[in-house]
Amino acid sequence: MTQEQKGPEGPEALLSAWMKTATDFWGSVMEAWPETSPSFEAPPPSEEGEAAKVRMKEGMDSVLKNWQIFSSIIKSPDLQESVSKGVNALPEMALKMSRVAFEGFFNLQKQWLNRMGRIGRSGEAFKFEDLDQGPYKAWMEMYEKEFSQLYNFPQLGLTRFYQERMSQAMDQFNRYQASMGEFFHLLYLPLEKSNHVLREKMAALAEGGKLPENFQDYYRIWLKILEGHYMTLFKSPEFTQTLAKTLEATENFMEAKQAVLQDLLQSLPVPTNKDMDDLYRELYLLKKKVKELDKKLQDGRLEEKAP
Amino acid sequence: MSQPTIPIDLILSKLAEEAEKAQERVQKAPDVLLGPLDTSIASSPYEIVYEEDRVKLKYYTPVTETQFKTPLLVVYALINRETMLDLQPGRSVVQSLLGAGIDLYMIDWGYPKRKDKFLTIDDHVNGYLDNIVDFIRKRHNVPQIHLMGICMGGSFCVMYSALHPEKIKNLITTVTPTNFDTDQGLLHIWLREVNVDKMVDTFGNMPGDLMNYAFLLLNPARLMIDKYVGFYENMDNRTFVENFIRMEKWIFDSPDVPGETFRQFVKDCYQKNLLIQSKMEVGGRRVDLKKITMPLLNFYGQFDHLVPPGACDLLTKKVGSRDVEDVCLDTGHIGIYVSSKCQREFVPKIVRWLKERDAPVKTGGASRKALRRKPKAKPDPLEKEKTNNEKG
Repeated sequence: MTQEQKGPEGPEALLSAWMKTATDFWGSVMEAWPETSPSFEAPPPSEEGEAAKVRMKEGMDSVLKNWQIFSSIIKSPDLQESVSKGVNALPEMALKMSRVAFEGFFNLQKQWLNRMGRIGRSGEAFKFEDLDQGPYKAWMEMYEKEFSQLYNFPQLGLTRFYQERMSQAMDQFNRYQASMGEFFHLLYLPLEKSNHVLREKMAALAEGGKLPENFQDYYRIWLKILEGHYMTLFKSPEFTQTLAKTLEATENFMEAKQAVLQDLLQSLPVPTNKDMDDLYRELYLLKKKVKELDKKLQDGRLEEKAP
Repeated sequence: MSQPTIPIDLILSKLAEEAEKAQERVQKAPDVLLGPLDTSIASSPYEIVYEEDRVKLKYYTPVTETQFKTPLLVVYALINRETMLDLQPGRSVVQSLLGAGIDLYMIDWGYPKRKDKFLTIDDHVNGYLDNIVDFIRKRHNVPQIHLMGICMGGSFCVMYSALHPEKIKNLITTVTPTNFDTDQGLLHIWLREVNVDKMVDTFGNMPGDLMNYAFLLLNPARLMIDKYVGFYENMDNRTFVENFIRMEKWIFDSPDVPGETFRQFVKDCYQKNLLIQSKMEVGGRRVDLKKITMPLLNFYGQFDHLVPPGACDLLTKKVGSRDVEDVCLDTGHIGIYVSSKCQREFVPKIVRWLKERDAPVKTGGASRKALRRKPKAKPDPLEKEKTNNEKG
């Protein structure tokens, strides 16, 4: 038997076999209608029952005919080739995505390993070298490059605005989480640093034979170091910028969340914050006007009374 | 090289002693914590004599015959509550002032709701404060009153006195920020970088919880760790526990700050520092500090981390009055009002100062000249003053 006589190979052969099996199966289902089975006991005939049976049979007929048409189309060699090309492309896509994810992960891991390597080094008191924000910056870069654009994908359809707001809320939530993580990490740094410094101080005191005997004294030394570290941190421009960035991320997330809540509340018989704010603003302006007029009236009356 | 000597035996024996003391403390603590505790604050009796929206005016019941012809209005900040001035018996500024025979009024700014987010500094200063001042003047049939401001309330009093000097007889400012061009305090550094427009547009009113968190962050080691270690070490002491709980009640009782007020205060004061430069506008009118021509007594704390000395001590040099005095106390932001040491300096100084200036204002130029007279220096061993007699 020659190559040509063997028939289609690879995915096309699988597809053809599957189509044939499915067609045979459904065909046999249709043929094996309940009435033809020897053990079947037909219920008493009724008009509604007959109508329902006919409707069901018509539905099944229509489904099978559609399947037959589909299977005859899919048998065409050109279509089978394009389907198999699409299927072959799937592993390539998955490989590309996982490569991107791994690269990002290895980048982060490199940052972590660098950081781990710094443990054990002597820490000079009240100094924060580069504040170790590398992993967070790396994560945010990766997020903005690879994931954020998914949330900014153009939405389609009648509910596109709602979808957009939901995507924005999720995007802002991720950014908010990242900012909070960075912020809390900064707050944690003085604790870590003061433990290093305390260890060194105790070593120095031990060498000089001046180790305090009282546990309270250790606590006070540690507290003073910690206080100093926090003061240094809080005055640094990095902390001020991170604080401002964290606040902004929180505010962006709150805005996006409010927008989604607004959409949900619109379907309920409750006023939204926006509605109430508009009302309050009008009320405020009206009250202010009334107070001004009242004051003018009072002043006018006083002037009338005065000779 | 000699081996370092670590007195392990001494450390361990001290640790054992500490553990024994801790055990005794923990055994006594439930009797205190679960027993009757008097943690009431703001217990001095008063009546509400004026109300406008959320704002109330308290008039404290006199405890002695009135010694002053002019009533005193105390204006607290919008942050935290005025109950701090009447925190506990024996450490109450309110009771001390009442004991000196002063007719005492205090503004209760209340708890702003969402509808109050549009209220501006103008609404507070030229609205509520002006109406209250007029009310008191009418009630006592006096042309002027004494005005005392605390922290942000002091800033409002400074603005008010510049805009309505004819209604104020004497001005007292305590821990009042007027100059924001300083890096002595963390708030001054942080608020310069913050996008306050976005904050107010998002939050509306500035949440009290957010501000509480920010204040705790100013010194987390002391305020979040050491404070509670101190409580643990004294939790078998009923008096300590009662006073601690009172302070806790006050410190975490933070109303929201109306959004527009917060916006203008941060932008015009913290970021642009307009107030001390006499460039700030309130209700379309410029706050010119030179128009503060009444006597001014300015208190601040040497160790105040919220309103550092650099934020307070410039005011006396910028006002138009020649009768000005700075008093720097060895304490922090609230120590002025609650520390027993400062209680012996703070209120007596105010009472003496007001008494010297409490003569009623008569019509005519001679009395105005008399008001501008410099006070005679009276040496007092308890006082630590910085008197400013030179005007820049």
